[in-house]
Parts: sequence; structure tokens; C-alpha cells
Amino acid sequence: QEGNYTPGSKYIIEDITVSGNASFNKQTIVTYSGLRKGLSLVVPGEKTSNAIKKLWSSNLFSNVNIYVTKVDGNAIYLDIEVTELPTLNEVKITGIKKGKHDDIIKENNLKKGTRVTENLLTTTKNYLENKYAKEGYLKSKVYLNPVTTKDSTGKELVNLVVNIDRGDKVKIKNINFSGNESFASSKLKGAMKNTKQRNPIRIFKRSKFIEKDYQEDLKKIEAKYKESGFRDIKVTSSDPTYNEDETISLNIDIKEGKKYYIGDINFTGNTVYPDKFLRQKLGLYKGDIYNGVLLEKQIADASDPDADDLTNLYQNNGYLFSNIVPVEVGVRNDTIDFEIRISEGKLTHFKNISVVGNDKTNDHVIYRELRTKPGQVYSKQKIVRSLRELGQLGFFDAEQLSPNIKNPNPNEGTVDVEYSVVEKGSSQVELQGGFGGGGFIGTLGLSFNNFSIRNIFNKEAYKPLPMGDGQRLSLRAQASRFFQTYSFSFSEPWLGGRRPQQFSVSLSQTSQFRFDPVARDVDRDQRFLITGVTVGLARRLQVPDDYFTLSTAVSFQHYNLKNYQTGIFQNISNGFSNNLAFTVGLSRNSLSINPIFPTAGSKFGVTGKFSIPYSLFNGVDYADLERQREIAVEDNNRNALARIDQEKYKWLEFYKIKFDGDWYNTLYKKLVLRSNMQFGFLGAYNNDRGIIPFERFFVGGDGLGAFSLDGREAVGLRGYPNQSLSSTDGGTIFNKFSLELRHPITMNPSASIFALAFMEGGNSYNTFSDYNPFDIYRSAGAGIRIFMPAFGLLGIDFGYGFDTLPGQPKRNGWETHFILGQQF
Amino acid sequence: CSEYQKVYKNEEVAPKYALGEKLYNEGDYKRARNLFEQIVPGYAGKPGAEKLMYMYGNTMFLMEDYITSSYQLERFVKKYPRSEKIEEMSFKSAKSYYMLSPRFSLDQEDTNKAILKLQNFMNTYPKSEYFKEASDLALELDDKLQLKAYDIAKGYHHRISSGTQFRDDYYAAIAAFNNFLNDYPGSKYKEKALYYKFDTAYLLAINSTERRKEERLKDAIKYYNKWKQSAAESEFTEEAEKHIAEVNQELEKFNNQ
Repeated sequence: QEGNYTPGSKYIIEDITVSGNASFNKQTIVTYSGLRKGLSLVVPGEKTSNAIKKLWSSNLFSNVNIYVTKVDGNAIYLDIEVTELPTLNEVKITGIKKGKHDDIIKENNLKKGTRVTENLLTTTKNYLENKYAKEGYLKSKVYLNPVTTKDSTGKELVNLVVNIDRGDKVKIKNINFSGNESFASSKLKGAMKNTKQRNPIRIFKRSKFIEKDYQEDLKKIEAKYKESGFRDIKVTSSDPTYNEDETISLNIDIKEGKKYYIGDINFTGNTVYPDKFLRQKLGLYKGDIYNGVLLEKQIADASDPDADDLTNLYQNNGYLFSNIVPVEVGVRNDTIDFEIRISEGKLTHFKNISVVGNDKTNDHVIYRELRTKPGQVYSKQKIVRSLRELGQLGFFDAEQLSPNIKNPNPNEGTVDVEYSVVEKGSSQVELQGGFGGGGFIGTLGLSFNNFSIRNIFNKEAYKPLPMGDGQRLSLRAQASRFFQTYSFSFSEPWLGGRRPQQFSVSLSQTSQFRFDPVARDVDRDQRFLITGVTVGLARRLQVPDDYFTLSTAVSFQHYNLKNYQTGIFQNISNGFSNNLAFTVGLSRNSLSINPIFPTAGSKFGVTGKFSIPYSLFNGVDYADLERQREIAVEDNNRNALARIDQEKYKWLEFYKIKFDGDWYNTLYKKLVLRSNMQFGFLGAYNNDRGIIPFERFFVGGDGLGAFSLDGREAVGLRGYPNQSLSSTDGGTIFNKFSLELRHPITMNPSASIFALAFMEGGNSYNTFSDYNPFDIYRSAGAGIRIFMPAFGLLGIDFGYGFDTLPGQPKRNGWETHFILGQQF
Repeated sequence: CSEYQKVYKNEEVAPKYALGEKLYNEGDYKRARNLFEQIVPGYAGKPGAEKLMYMYGNTMFLMEDYITSSYQLERFVKKYPRSEKIEEMSFKSAKSYYMLSPRFSLDQEDTNKAILKLQNFMNTYPKSEYFKEASDLALELDDKLQLKAYDIAKGYHHRISSGTQFRDDYYAAIAAFNNFLNDYPGSKYKEKALYYKFDTAYLLAINSTERRKEERLKDAIKYYNKWKQSAAESEFTEEAEKHIAEVNQELEKFNNQ
């Protein structure tokens, strides 16, 4: 700051000029400095030095000065002189493969236009040298050569040459131990997991030297000694020595010290659990070799927060503020006495339970599923269970559910839990159109899984749909010239909101017409109508445990035929049939956590479906009816047959028992085994009346619902064509066993993908006397599943059928199955 | 080709600014926004930027795009602390968050932000023409938070089951009402919370095992008295009196023993 001014007196800025700027606008620099025309200030003073500081901190200039150019009374003229830092123009990298150049530029932020500072050069050099050292290139050298040029406008540019000389990877020739008496050197080398000496036979593990891994391996040697009672073990290593052939030798010195044994173990401070129980839990006894590592693990295992150790014994059972410390109270020769000091702290209760992140789902839908409640004793198990319940709702991204333990208060013994949820899309749309069956078929399906029926007439709630009450609503319409199907279903998981009892209702209507080959058009006079209603109630039980659900349902179907011949009704072409049945099911579902990809738990259920035993009281002699039928068949009397069959099927009489069990076990890391078992049996109360041709089982193929006019059930069995393992009328008894290995590829909420390999077998049988659970069709194969919230589950499986189907000359071989819709 | 189209497609900045300002003044916010959007990034630090940012932020606000306006207006307030429009912009920034606040039964992150912003505004500009409105909005949001907390506590009361979790459910409801009463001591839902707390204690006592019944009956009386203090006239009076009579009658049995 120079000029003809009086230091310490006040001036008003008349004008500011900028010099030395090349790429920045004058106005920008002035604005950034915080000085402006008309500002009054003391020179030199705080405002000018702040301006310099501000410009400096922008990291855009290598030099900043403010000069007084002129003083006129109390008007002052300032000049801001800057020297801009040169910018980076071109980066050339030598010494490594071209493919890695972009990564290096990205990692070090060496973009064109970056200001070149000394700092940038040093950090780049250090970063690269470290990077290669970590990969085993201990002798890597990085040279940076910045060359300054000027462009046509006079701006300074830097062309940077980065020369990387990685040198050779440094291999370990030998690892030498000294001082080890209790363990052979080879044993100790084995304990080192990532530092290996060169060995031509071993091909999977590298013999590179990486400092970080080496230090970890030294700790592993220490741990090995400690596990065997060498409490005072010291493992030291001098710097690696270089051999002539560019390899190194590692020298490790070991001071073993004495081998120790456990003496007395006393517990103090424990009031909740007795000594004996704790001692058993600890699993270490007097006279054992002193295993420091195990002792630590049994008290608080740092490597596994869910370990079965003493700390968790207390913490998971309400003593969140407990603290357990083992103290050596005496060393007698080679024996160490312990005192396990336990400070139990106050019994902890939950205080506030809260939920954040729900921007679609209403509070009550979430809170009612939580197993943690205010005032309850703290329990980790209850938190885990709550997460499971939230995951099973299907409204949230199961991978992102997390409980936050907040405000732990040891004085009051309270803690808050905040569940953080992330909503995911839970509505699905199906819109299809295509040609099939002689005409255009259109399908529109809508399914809303988090609907709010009470807001259905509330215009405000349509954003875009009334959501958030956890109800499920689905509508589906499929139509062509020959048939129409409409269905509607609704379910409310907590009817009345007081307790978990699911209420569901569904309606469906199907009409089918014949094609008239003469008129080449649909003949609406030949028709087959099916109307169905189902109302169900399912209650979550408390006993035997609260994973159980008892469900009941009443279903009614009315079939009506006019001039319509179809196989199941045999000889009736004008008539009707009613199917009224009661279903009772007991199921248990403890799958966790993600409903799309469960990793633990099981799901199994038994259901029974029963019609009223009409033949007990309706006075019809079905044995006689059967005899009449035989005569009619012999006489080929079609009218009599129609009358008899109509009598037989007026009200369908049957019972059906099914079992379905799924078990999920995590085998290794993310590899999950799913074991499945299914069994079904359809029977008749009255043997004279026989087993109905409805409600039958069709085994084989992808198991998708098919076009089920007659209440049939498709049971998937991959490796064979659809429904190929049942007779044309369908089986009355079936069983199926399946093992599936699953591994996730990505669990991203927008598309979860997992791969699977399976082995399964099953069969269906026409009568109970044919039944043989070991006479099954076997298959194996692999596939993939993709779950996208808007489309549901999609998948493809390739299965190989090992057995020969009836009428086939050889084993069935490969089949491809496409899976659509949710199957979990 | 309209003037707007010509300017919109042109590279030049000055005409965009001029036309944008004109459209803004005429109330054609949509087109004004489109023009502003193009020039805002390049305008930082230049004279006129403040005016531009003012119009830009206001456009978002007036178009009810509160997600953007909350951010843009907040940026304006930070960037131009000496602006003469600062008061208006701070208020609108706070009000944008108010508009984003969802129904009470959802996550209230934006509500809390809005209350904080409104509070800050009222502290900074106690004489502002917007003060009354800000205060009304803040009260409304505070009421929403109270309703939420009350509704959650009431949920525990609603879901008391008769199964094995019987006692847990009662205690949870009482603890939840206690939390609510501690967190919002002056709430307008206080009387309701006190009543339902009594109601819970009453149900617990009446259905209690003999061993703990006396103690629970006495608790119920305690909660009844708390409610009575705060309820001069209440929709629950009749019900409460019926319950307390039953409690007293039950307690009588213990006194006679």
C-alpha cells in the first residue's frame, strides 16, 4: 500500500482498478474483495487486509496487493494487483499403461483448467508414490515436470509431465525368525496371512511386500502366542533388508516370555446373574492355559458386535449401561488370578420411540408394527424384531432400515430409539396388449400396496394417489372378444387398527364365449360365466409365539354354462355348479429381513379347505346315481347323463389339505439356502360321490397361475413343461421338495437382482393308492431374479429334467421358464 | 417466432435479463423462469446479480415450486445479507418450508426446519410487516407437531391388546402419554392426554391381578386428580366420573379388609 495518504485517517473509495488479471473479469475481482465504490475505510486498515485475505483464500492467485494510486481530499483511488496462478493445460503420463491414465487424472483432480499450486504438485507426487508402494512397488519414483507456456491471449498455462517409474515389485525371499522356541518358524509363517515368502508351488497368494499387511501379520503372530499363554510376548521387526536380486528378507525377532495359566476367577458387582452362571458363560477355568485373546473375546468381542459374550449378555437384556472389565489381581509365578469387575448400571428402559423418513406411510401404520414401546425394558432382540416387521411391510427399502439409539441417559436409565426408514415405490402397473386366441387381448392391472381407502374421495390426497394407510388394493381387467375377466381385491392388515387382523375381500367375474367357425365371429349364445367372492380374516396369534397367523376365509364360486361344452363338467352343457368352501389356515412366518431376499427364518403353513358335506343330509343316494350313470353311459343317453352330472355337481363337495414350508439359512456371507417342501391332498367325504374334477393340482413348469377356471392349482417344478407331471384331469395328491442356493447380485431398491441354483423333485398322483413320495421327477438348474418395485418380480430359470416323462423316449432335458409376478 | 422464442434461443445474456424482468413484472413467471434459468449460473458476482436472484427466487415461490424456492431464497439470504429485500426474502424462504410441511402423520423434518426459520425470522425482524403471519404459521406448525406426538401416544392406548402383552401395552400407553406431557406441557391436547392416561390406568387397575390391584387403583386415582385439575369442562366428564366411582368402589374392598 503506497501513495500520498495519511495512515490512520478515513477515506472514501472513489474508484477501484484492477491490474494483472488475465482470465477474470475486473468486476468479479472487486466484488469478491468486498471493497466497493463509496465505501469508507481507514488506510491501511481492516477492510483492505480482509480484501487481500479473501482474494488469497480463493486459491486462484499467486500474489495479491492493494495499492493507493491517488488521493484527492478524502477520496481515495485503489488498485488491486493480482498475479493469477497458471492453469493446467495438458497432462502427459508416462511409465504406466494408458488405460490407467484417466484414473490417475481423476484421483488427483488434474483436470484442464485446474490452478497449478505447489501444493497440487506435492500431493500428486506423494499420492502416487504411496499408491504404488501399497501395491508392492516399494521403489516407485514419481517425477513431475511442469512446463509453463503462454496461450494466444497471454494467459499462463502449464503442461505437466508425470513420469512414473514403478520399478519392479519387491518380492519376499525369506522370512527369518529368531527367539522362537515354542513354535517352529513354519508355524509362524503360516500365521502370517498376507505376507508370504516366495514359493513356486503356491500360486494364489502373492509374495509381494506390503507394509500395512505386514504389520497386521506381526499382530497375528502376537495373537498366536497369546492364545497359548504367552502373555508377555514381544514381536519386533527390523526394516527389511534388500538382497542382491531385488528381493527382500524380513527379520522378525521374538521374545516369548513365560507361559501363563489361569488362577482364580472372581466376579464382583454382579447382582443380576450369579457367579456360577457367569463362569459357565465365560468358559475359562482355573488351570487352563492363559488365553488372553479368548478372554477378551468372551468378555467383549471387538470383531463381532452380535457375539455371544458377557457384555452382550448384559447389554441385550436391559443393562445397556453395563461395563465389564477383567483385572489381573495377582500373578503367582506362572499363574494369574482374575477379578471380572462388573458395573451393571441402571436397568435401561426405552423412553421415546420415533420414526423418521416416512414421507408416504402414516405413523400409525409403522408404530403398530414396532415391538419396542415406551417404558419397556431395553431389549436388542426387540429392536431387531421391529426391523424385521418394518422390512416385511414392503413399503420401505429393507436394506436401508436402521435403528438409531439416541440420548442414552445412564442416570435415569433411559434410551431413545429412532427408526430411520426410506420409502420405496410399492405400486405396480401391468398393461399388456397382444394377439392370441383369435383376437386382441388387452390387460390392465393395477396394484397399490400402500393404499388409503378412507381418502378415496378426498381430492387433496391424490398425490398422485391416496397412500399411506398400508392397505392393499388391486384391480385387474383382461378382455378380448372371446373372454373377459374382471377382478378386484382389497385388504386391510389391521382391521379396526387395534390388533393385527387382516381383512380381505375379493371379487371376480369371468365370461367366456365360443368362436363360431361358420360366422367367423364370437357366438355370445355359447357362454360360460364364473362369478366368485372371497372374504377372509387373518389374525396374528400370541401363542405358541407371535409369528403365527390363523386365517379363515369363505369363498363362493358360481359356474354357469349355456350351450357350452367343457371337459370339467363332462356332460353338462346347460347348467350350473356352485363351490362354497371354508378355508382355515395356520401359518408361521419369521422370514427376515427383506421380503424379496430373505436371509433367515422360515415360513410354513397348513391350510384346509372344506365344503359343506351335503351328501350327509341332502338325501341323495349317490351310489344309486353312479349306477344310473353307468347305465346311461352304456345307452349313450346324453340327456340322462347331463341330468345326472348336474345333480352330482350342483354343489361341489370336497376337502383339501395343503402344507407349504420354506426355510432360509445363510450359509456363508451372502449365500442363502432355501429349502422348500410342499404337499397337497384333495379328498371326498363321500366315496360314492367321488373326488371332484375341480380344485386339482397340476405339477410341472413355472407354476404360474395359468388360466384357472376350475380352481386348479399350478405347482411349479422346473425342468419339465407346464403341468406335464399331472394327468389331464389333474392330480388329487402331490408332493414337492426343493433346495435352492441364492446369492444377491445387487440389492439396490430400484432393482434387486439375485442368482440361484436349484435342485428339486416332485410328482402328482391320481389316487391315494398311487401315492409314493419317492416316485418323483427330479431336476436341477439355475436362474436369475430381478425385482423392480414398479414391475414386481421377473426372472428366468433354466432347468434340466433328469427323468423321462410318460410317452417320451428319453429324459426330458432342458427347459426354460420365465417367471412373472411376485413369488415370495 | 415470438420475441420470447428469439431471445430464448439466442446466446446473448442482456436481452434475456431484460425480457425476463419484463415478463416477471407482467406476471408471466413460467417464461421468466425459463429465461432466468439460463443466465443465473453465469451471473454470479456481476452487477445486477442481486436483482436477478431476487426475481428468480420469487418466481419459484410464486409458481409454488417450494422445494426450489426454499433453497434459492435461502441462498439469496446468505449471499446478500445487506440487501434491502432481505426481510422479505427471509420470510419467503421460511414460508417455503412451511408450505413443504406434510400432514402430521408423516416425517416432520420440513416442519422442524420451517419452525426454526420462522423463529429466526421473528427474532431478527420483530417489527416486520410479516411478523404476524410468521407467528401464525409457526403456531400452526407447532400445533401440528403436538398433534403428531399426541396421536402417536394415543395410538398406544388404542392398541392395548388383551393377549400376553397385556401389561406391556398399558405401561407403554402411560409412558407415551408421560413423554407427550413432558415434551409439550402447555399443549391444547393436554387435557385429552391426561384423560386417556387416567383411562389407561383405570383399565389396568380394573383388569389387574389381585396382588397389584390396590397399588394400581391408587395410581388411577392419582391420574384422575391430575386430569381433574386441568379439565374445567370436558367431553370426558361423564365417562371419567363413572370410572372413578368404579375405582373407588374397588378400593373400598381393600380398605375393608
